[in-house]
Amino acid sequence: MKILYASIKRELRVLVSRPLYLIMMIVVPIAVSLFLIDLMRDGLPLQTPVGLVDLDHSSLSRRMVRNLDSSELIRVVSDDDGVHEAMNRIKSGEIYGFFYIPSNFEQETLAGKSPTLSFYSNMTYMIPGTLSFKGFKTTAVTTTAGIVSAKLTATGVEPGVVGSLLQPVVVQDHPIGNPWLSYAIYLCNSFIPGVIGLLVMMITVFTIMSEIKNGTSIGWLSTAGDSMIVALAGKLLPHTVIFTAVGWCCQAIMFRFNHYPLNCPEWHIMIAMMLLVMASQAFAVFICELVPNFRLALSGVSLIGILSFSIAAFSFPVESMYGAIGVFNYILPVRWYFLIYIDQALNGIDLFYSRFYYIALLVFLLVPLTGLGRLRTISRDPVYLT
Amino acid sequence: MLRYITEWFKSLYSVWRREFTLVFKDVGVLIFFLFLPTVYPIIYTLIYNPEIVVELPVVVVDHCATTRSREFIREVDATQAIDITGRAASLSEAREAMNEHKVYAIMEIPSDFDRQIGRGEQAVIPVYYDMGLLLRYRTILMALSDLQIAVGAQLRGEVLENIGLPAEGMSETPINSEAEFLGDRTQGFASFVIPGILILILQQSLVLGIAMLSGGSAERRRRNMGYDPMEIDAPPTATLIGKTLCYTVIYLPMVLYLFIGVPHIFSLPHDGDYVHYLLFILPLITASSFMGIMLGTLIKERESSLIVLVFTSVIFIFLSGLTWPRYGMSPFWRAVGGLVPATWGVQGFTRMNSNGATLGQESESYIALWCLTAFYFVISYLIVRYRRARQRRLQWAVKQSEQ
Repeated sequence: MKILYASIKRELRVLVSRPLYLIMMIVVPIAVSLFLIDLMRDGLPLQTPVGLVDLDHSSLSRRMVRNLDSSELIRVVSDDDGVHEAMNRIKSGEIYGFFYIPSNFEQETLAGKSPTLSFYSNMTYMIPGTLSFKGFKTTAVTTTAGIVSAKLTATGVEPGVVGSLLQPVVVQDHPIGNPWLSYAIYLCNSFIPGVIGLLVMMITVFTIMSEIKNGTSIGWLSTAGDSMIVALAGKLLPHTVIFTAVGWCCQAIMFRFNHYPLNCPEWHIMIAMMLLVMASQAFAVFICELVPNFRLALSGVSLIGILSFSIAAFSFPVESMYGAIGVFNYILPVRWYFLIYIDQALNGIDLFYSRFYYIALLVFLLVPLTGLGRLRTISRDPVYLT
Repeated sequence: MLRYITEWFKSLYSVWRREFTLVFKDVGVLIFFLFLPTVYPIIYTLIYNPEIVVELPVVVVDHCATTRSREFIREVDATQAIDITGRAASLSEAREAMNEHKVYAIMEIPSDFDRQIGRGEQAVIPVYYDMGLLLRYRTILMALSDLQIAVGAQLRGEVLENIGLPAEGMSETPINSEAEFLGDRTQGFASFVIPGILILILQQSLVLGIAMLSGGSAERRRRNMGYDPMEIDAPPTATLIGKTLCYTVIYLPMVLYLFIGVPHIFSLPHDGDYVHYLLFILPLITASSFMGIMLGTLIKERESSLIVLVFTSVIFIFLSGLTWPRYGMSPFWRAVGGLVPATWGVQGFTRMNSNGATLGQESESYIALWCLTAFYFVISYLIVRYRRARQRRLQWAVKQSEQ
């Protein structure tokens, strides 16, 4: 116990020895959280700038334009006389889509010739493209409904029935847990823990391999009574405490101050954060044991940390990935955190259903035990390899 | 004057050559300059290449159990997006399947579904979604709303006939609408995300490599009482331009590979003119290079460059407007994003690559990149000039003590 205490004290001195540690452990995670939350504070980027090409100039086309304007998803910022001009605006990034009403549109509609409306959405940018598509589609559907209902009334259908005839079947959607369809809560709840996981891994590798690089690992080990496990515990426990506290702080910023959905008791997600920190530390220790070379180990964890934003499938589902890529998910701590977040915070289902995710994070803690001997050999005889 | 110019070009050449030696002797830097831009695009494309999400498992609770409800379920199952994997007797049973992560949505057909349609009333079918991923929700939702319109039009005729009104022409829609998707025509995820990622890979690998070089120089200075023996004593402008020229030459094959090779190999959208691409990328390299030199002065040792810079990729990807559009940002963040070369690179290049925009149409981004080149050049010039003055003093002091 005494040697553990001595090791912890030694590490605390290391932590305050240079500003790098505290900046990367405290300032950066909180700053990144505030940045992401503030950047996406609207939840959904409304008012996508779009264009209009109205070649008809009839009362019907004007009605459609009014419909377009009333949609909160889009904002009509340009009015051109040809597709070519509108296309140029798309290419220069001024608008993200445009709505095209062909000439003689009203006339052909009234004559029952079913003319065609077109809407163009620039999917080079997925969110604005999708939102402009939604806005256009709604307008097209509303316009169609207006014409059908006029026709039905003219045929002699009672006004009360017209509504149900317009849409005999309605699929009513219930997006459980995120009725606002906010993008921000997904992006923040995946990227913030992702950044924390990345920083934990990098700092862990940095602090262990710095000892070996500077030849101080002999002192590190002897302070811990020559026990690798005590040396690691003494070194990493202060980090665990700081990172977990910072992680909780980031969670508080999201769930408490910004009211992101949290449908489970707070400790479910707090435990998940603590386990994420510890699993990431264990993962980094394992990398040090596997590749005891400062630069390679550090490059390795940064590579994995950055790729985990994509592989851990926060936006593109694992089951749609190629099998060989999808399996990498099992070795990424942040993936399990994200699954817990969805089950617990977003869906608020029973803890029982998430049991394996918590266990998976715990399993990570056992992995570095396999290479302790190797790490000790290197720490006793540190040779920095360039 | 002429002598000064010749001297300047001579020192430019020696800086350029020395930088080459430094880069190619350093495995760490080579990892960033060569390995990272080569391998990352492949990994990213492999992650996202399946492009679209299909056959998402959905469970049905059919309280109606008539021919009509079964017919509707069959039509849902037939869509590309949805796969009806099972039926549940009750909503709680279905909920259980969703909790166990077996299905991503529950469709509940009410018991009076058939009767309501027969009577000409509106039938409502609730669908409950697992919102774990927006992409899944969006895929199912779009398939169902298309189906709702198609089934609706077909039923309308039927209902009108039932209540004895002329159904002629009522099943067809009076207006056709047609959605055209530009750029990423298949709406695939890889086609959307990769062109932007390529730009970020270029900037970040360059900045990381340069920062690691400065870290190495800082370590040498620490060992030599503040003096770096590997640094050529040259005018600051020659130092900056010489180094940047060296990186540009190294990155030339990388640029061909990243912006012409990768989209071609993985059949991503690829519309613009190659000459325009290359002209556009040039100021991106110079701006990133000067930014890297500027940031590099903050780095005290080789390894800390990684710690300090890797996480910035996350910030830069958000500022670039790839995930969150720039018009949806506050003016402050838009301005901050404007200082990052990759922001303009992503804006301009994605539209050139996927929408076939010309360099002229991307003049805003192109000019911005040259402005950033100038901006970061001036800042790093001031730093390098200060450093050189100090280095000269130290050199002089060392000579004095030797005598």
